[in-house]
Amino acid sequence: MAHSPINPIPDCQLTWVFGLLETLDDRGGRDDGYKIARDLNFKFGDLLKVMKTAEILGFVSTPDGDVVLEPLGKQVIESEINQRKLIVRERLKSLGLFAYLVRLLQAQEDRALTREVVLEHLAMLLPNDPPEKMFSTIVNWGRYAELFGYNKDEDRFYLDQD
Amino acid sequence: MALLELRNVSKSFAHAAGALRVLENISFTVEHGEFVAVVGPSGCGKSTMLRIINGLMQPTSGQVLYRGRQIDGINLDCAMVFQSFALMPWLTVKANIELGLEARGAAPAEREKRAGVYIDKVGLDGFEEAYPRELSGGMKQRVGLARALAVEPQLLLMDEPFSALDALTAITLREELLDIWQSADMPVHNIIIVTHIIEEAVELADRILVLASGPGRLVADLRVDLPRPRNRRKEAFNALTDKVFSLIEERA
Repeated sequence: MAHSPINPIPDCQLTWVFGLLETLDDRGGRDDGYKIARDLNFKFGDLLKVMKTAEILGFVSTPDGDVVLEPLGKQVIESEINQRKLIVRERLKSLGLFAYLVRLLQAQEDRALTREVVLEHLAMLLPNDPPEKMFSTIVNWGRYAELFGYNKDEDRFYLDQD
Repeated sequence: MALLELRNVSKSFAHAAGALRVLENISFTVEHGEFVAVVGPSGCGKSTMLRIINGLMQPTSGQVLYRGRQIDGINLDCAMVFQSFALMPWLTVKANIELGLEARGAAPAEREKRAGVYIDKVGLDGFEEAYPRELSGGMKQRVGLARALAVEPQLLLMDEPFSALDALTAITLREELLDIWQSADMPVHNIIIVTHIIEEAVELADRILVLASGPGRLVADLRVDLPRPRNRRKEAFNALTDKVFSLIEERA
């Protein structure tokens, strides 16, 4: 199977994505991104990151500056917390960057790597994006989806397998 | 019998220019299963009232009855969630959640089991070994909520729990709180939330107690009959928000 292309991910919290989906749902499923940012007193630049993340995950589409709630996004807000995590997990596994890291970890005997090694991979894959910030976003999304874990004390980035 | 009853509760603090009256003659009851919001401007004594309900502070006069009995000292049936999250930075998420149980004398195995249950309920699976500084504000407050729920309180007290969070995070956490409150297998069915955000009170609560300041006194007790989930863009929602706002404003 051909691998998905490896693209950078926005520095964005998943909690923001769920907040955007709820907001859209309250507004009939579609609104102008700029208007949402203004109404919520949210920096427009930050809201663009949230829109982009929601789009990467397949929860919204963004035609002409609008944000439109997609069926999967609607399913996310109707799901309870742990189902929601499962949906995010499946979506992350289909993203090139996360799929690459899963394969990389699977190739290790203990299914783990140090942060330093992951940063080197990120720097090679995506030379225009600061790897430290991306690592912390990957860890946050990965933890939420129970796909990756990171133990700071042991400096161990690993595949979460239960 | 009501779950909670405040009878003519007043609170004053010693002050250079005489006593500073913070709360004056507050009386109300909370029935079993109610979600009550206390709103009012800053300085109306709403956080002080929460501390008196919890037993962290004694009223100067008046009584607090819990299940018909006067509270004497800290009420162990209550747990509190704070605006500032109040997490220990040197402890992991799991250790922070176990802390409340440890303070109540739970054995290590029991602490671990219960922390695990509530980590799962609030969606923190995967974050057990993270430290607070690795977390966003929203994740930190989920830890604060799990820590409070883990002691399985009858009454959950929340002091401006979403006020330090950005709008999108607060929207998400309010929804999650409602899901938790409404789910049948959760031990806590009574919540008192203190907030200065009127929309938050209208979105969450069955009842809104409106306090005015200087000194803090109860000026209205409103029932919220809007069906859940509540939509902020509906007319009835805005009408109630406006009503609460005018009640606060005309006494400010």
